[in-house]
Amino acid sequence: MLCTWYFVLGISTLIQRTKYQALSTNKMNLYKYASPAMFYPLAGKMIPWFAIPAALLFATGLFVGFFIAPTDFQQGDAYRIIFIHVPAAWMGMLLYVLMAIYAGIGWAFNARLSSMMASSLAVTGAMFTAISLVTGAFWGKPTWGIWWVWDARMTSTLILMFLYIGFISLQAAIEDPRRADRAGAVLALVGVINIPIIYFSVQWWQTLHQGATIRILQKPTIRGSMLAALLIMLAACWLYSVAVVLIRLRCIILEREQNAARFAEVGV
Amino acid sequence: MHWPDLSMGGYGFYVWGAYLFSLVAIVWELVSLKQRKKTLAQRQSSQQSMKPVATPVLRGSVNETTS
Repeated sequence: MLCTWYFVLGISTLIQRTKYQALSTNKMNLYKYASPAMFYPLAGKMIPWFAIPAALLFATGLFVGFFIAPTDFQQGDAYRIIFIHVPAAWMGMLLYVLMAIYAGIGWAFNARLSSMMASSLAVTGAMFTAISLVTGAFWGKPTWGIWWVWDARMTSTLILMFLYIGFISLQAAIEDPRRADRAGAVLALVGVINIPIIYFSVQWWQTLHQGATIRILQKPTIRGSMLAALLIMLAACWLYSVAVVLIRLRCIILEREQNAARFAEVGV
Repeated sequence: MHWPDLSMGGYGFYVWGAYLFSLVAIVWELVSLKQRKKTLAQRQSSQQSMKPVATPVLRGSVNETTS
C-alpha cells in the first residue's frame, strides 16, 4: 500500500515538474525576443525577407501604375501621383498608431525594446507623411489649381507631421534614453487622437480633398488595374517600412546598449 | 499594356516631381541609415582597439526585457 502511494506521489511529482518545465520553456520562447540582445540577431535575419520583396513590389507597382493602368478621363495622367500619395498617407497614419502602441507598451511595462521600436518607427513615419504632403501638393496644383489649402484633411495631416517632428525632437533633446522614452510616449499617446480626425475629416467637414475611394466594406470605385497598382504600392511601402525600421532598430539597440555597458563600467 | 507618354499629357512636371521627391526621401533615409551604421561600426572598432580585452557589445546575453 505504502509502495503504491509512493509510486503515485512520485508519478504526480514527475508530471508536475514536467508541466512546470514545459511552461517555463514556453515562457522563455514567448518572451525571449522581447530582449534587445536576443532580438538584435533575429532582426538582422528578417531584414532581407522584407527588403527584397519590397524592391520587387515597388518595381511591379510602378510598372502596373504607369504601363497598365489607363489614363483617367477626368484628371488625365496627373492621377498617377496617387500611386505614391495614397500609400504614403496610409503608411504615415499606420506607423503613427504603431509608434503610439509601442511607446505606450514601453512606458507601461518598462519594456526597452518597445520604446526602441517606437523611436525607430518615428523617422519612417515622418518620411511617409512628408511624402504624402508634398505629393499631395503636386497633385493639388493641376487638379485644384492651388498647391495648398487649409483644408481639414491637409491641415490634420500637417499636424501629424508636426507630431512626428515633436516626438523625434523630444527624444533627441533628452539625454537619458529612459526619460526620453517616457516623454515621447506621452506625446505619442496624446497625438494618436489626430489619426481618426485625419481619417474622418472628409466626412465630418466640407473639404476640398476628395472622400475615400477605397473602403473596406464597400466596392471600390476605381478600375481594377488602378486598384491593383495602388495595393501593390501599399504592400511595397509596408514591406519597405518593416525593413528600414528593423535596420534602424538594430542601430538603436547598439547605440543604447553600448552606452549602457559603458555606464555600467564606470559605475553610473 | 501601353508605353507611357513622358510628358504625362502636360502634367509631367507634377507627376515626375512627385515621384522624384519620393525617391529623394527614400534614398535620404537609406543613406542616413548607412551613415549611422558606419559611424557605429567605427565607434565600436575604436573602442575595441583601446582595450586589450574585447568588451561585450550588448548588455547581457540573458533575457533582459526591462531596464
